[in-house]
Amino acid sequence: MRTAYRVLAFAIAAMVAIQAGAIGYAVFAQFNWIEKGGTFDKAAFDTGAPGTGAFMFHALFAGALLLTSLVMLIISFFAKIPHGVRWAVFVLIATIVQIALGVLSHLLAAIGALHGAAALVLFGVAVMAAMRARKPAPAVEEAVPAEVA
Amino acid sequence: MAGRFSTRARLIVSIVAALAILVPLAWLWQSSLVPNSYSVTGMGYLDYGGGPVGDHDHGSTARSISDIVVDPARKADVRVDLAAEQQNLTIGGRSVPGYTLNGTSPGPTITAHQGQLVEVHVRNASVKSGIALHWHGVDVPAAMDGVAGVTQDEIPVGGEFTYRFVADQVGTYWYHSHQVSNEQVIGGLFGSLVVLPKNGRGEAVDVVAAAHTYSGTKTINGVAGDLKVPAKPGQQVRVRVINTDNGPIETWADTPFRVLAIDGYAVNGPTDVADHAMTITAGGRADLGVTMPSDGKPVRVQVSKGTAVILGSGDPATPPQPTTALDLLSYGSPTALGFDPAKATRHFDYSIGRRPGFVRGVPGLWWSINGHLYPNVPMYVVREGDVVIMHIDNHSGQVHPMHLHGHHAVVLSRNGVAATGSPWWIDSLNVLEDETYDIAFVADNPGIWLDHCHHLKHAAQGMVAHLMYEGVRTPYKVGGAAQNRPE
Repeated sequence: MRTAYRVLAFAIAAMVAIQAGAIGYAVFAQFNWIEKGGTFDKAAFDTGAPGTGAFMFHALFAGALLLTSLVMLIISFFAKIPHGVRWAVFVLIATIVQIALGVLSHLLAAIGALHGAAALVLFGVAVMAAMRARKPAPAVEEAVPAEVA
Repeated sequence: MAGRFSTRARLIVSIVAALAILVPLAWLWQSSLVPNSYSVTGMGYLDYGGGPVGDHDHGSTARSISDIVVDPARKADVRVDLAAEQQNLTIGGRSVPGYTLNGTSPGPTITAHQGQLVEVHVRNASVKSGIALHWHGVDVPAAMDGVAGVTQDEIPVGGEFTYRFVADQVGTYWYHSHQVSNEQVIGGLFGSLVVLPKNGRGEAVDVVAAAHTYSGTKTINGVAGDLKVPAKPGQQVRVRVINTDNGPIETWADTPFRVLAIDGYAVNGPTDVADHAMTITAGGRADLGVTMPSDGKPVRVQVSKGTAVILGSGDPATPPQPTTALDLLSYGSPTALGFDPAKATRHFDYSIGRRPGFVRGVPGLWWSINGHLYPNVPMYVVREGDVVIMHIDNHSGQVHPMHLHGHHAVVLSRNGVAATGSPWWIDSLNVLEDETYDIAFVADNPGIWLDHCHHLKHAAQGMVAHLMYEGVRTPYKVGGAAQNRPE
């Protein structure tokens, strides 16, 4: 369980990096297409103009990220990592906030700036959670029955 | 002892916490599943719009949609044969996967005169996912609406279907597949349809300009780049712009133009438009009128940034795109509607939102209608002769081109501001984020009609509701042996 927690936490950090990469690729593919005289509008977006695949991947992959952080939270209940549940909740909250910011950016582009910055927060929280899982477990509950009583 | 208990207690708490997350998710997932085969009449919940809840028998005693046809004994005036194929297209020098009708994309332009009976015999030569042809904007009898799984079964490879309808309304229309439409229309399975007045064309030059984007490349009538049309000084020109894409496009010109018609309905008293663009929503049409300058200069009618119709000879520069769009709410002069919206007997809401959840078992951020996700969407029930008002609002973050099959509606107001111009009749309406519209129509075409977003990917994501007449049933099912997939 501890290992699963750790792997998932690192996976979330890696997925954030993949998300950043997808957007970087998409923006430049779009820019290069426009430079060559291409038109970019809603129709171009839907018919596979360069970069659009990466934009769509970014939107769909957000779902995979959310799913992974949910699985991580469930695993944290059983993993007996000190503050493991707390950190898994942090990761989940950061993921939800990040997705919400992404959605709201469609209403107000300025929120997109927060969306970009908040990705670093999610990355950081996920790495922190993974580090927590590396520490050896304390002598569990038997040693500290007071915790339950 | 205490230690063992605490371990067990902790395990139980952990399991309960895990179940508290998993059970609601599983329940949401399960309730979003749709059977392999289902009738749209049994989908979602009935919405009577405050009107009478009458006999809504859609069983064996009801009239079958397949019987709602034009008099079979009447002879056709215009006959067209179409063969659909799945093949690569050459667009702007690139080969892209797509679909053709009679070997071309778009398919042939069908032209009829008002009142003529049009008969189109369609054969599916090689489109693997099957086809069905919908007559976008033509208020055809229900059995001819061409929606796989609602008004007919998909036409499989080797299959045939004959569409028959009377071209009652003069104007610019188009036809396109309504089977797996989100792939087939984008891939080019469509064509133009023009209904001329009984006495022929009104203008000396009449141009069809069907705008379509193939794999990112903008075209007019299937050709990348500009469409050049000969026109002499002083001549009147009608440019019929058809937006076959999924998003709105803007049109503008280097010479004042008039908007002669929208979605097949003439604008009353159109005036010159000089510094505005005309927005045409996805699936919508606009007929633009231009008087050729007497000094012999050519005219450039821009159809989005990427393509243009050039009238006359020469290569005029692209005029700058106007920053504001023409407001059709106050364009032209008012005239009689032919019915009284104040006598509406049904008031429906079509509220478009977006929320997380499951659709067909897939988690995501989905379009909602009145707060519900597909398939738990409203079924708007009407009785023949009803006057219906529909209040549309969009708080989903994106633009939606709303298309009601089988009817034309008139725009009464936008964001609470009443229309003051020419009656603005639509079959496809551009509803921007944060906009509300009140539209009205007469329920005068019995059947079961889609009322959906014509951003066809949105439709495939579940942005589809239906308008159903009392006492009409459909023998067709979505899914099933015929593999009907209308969206």
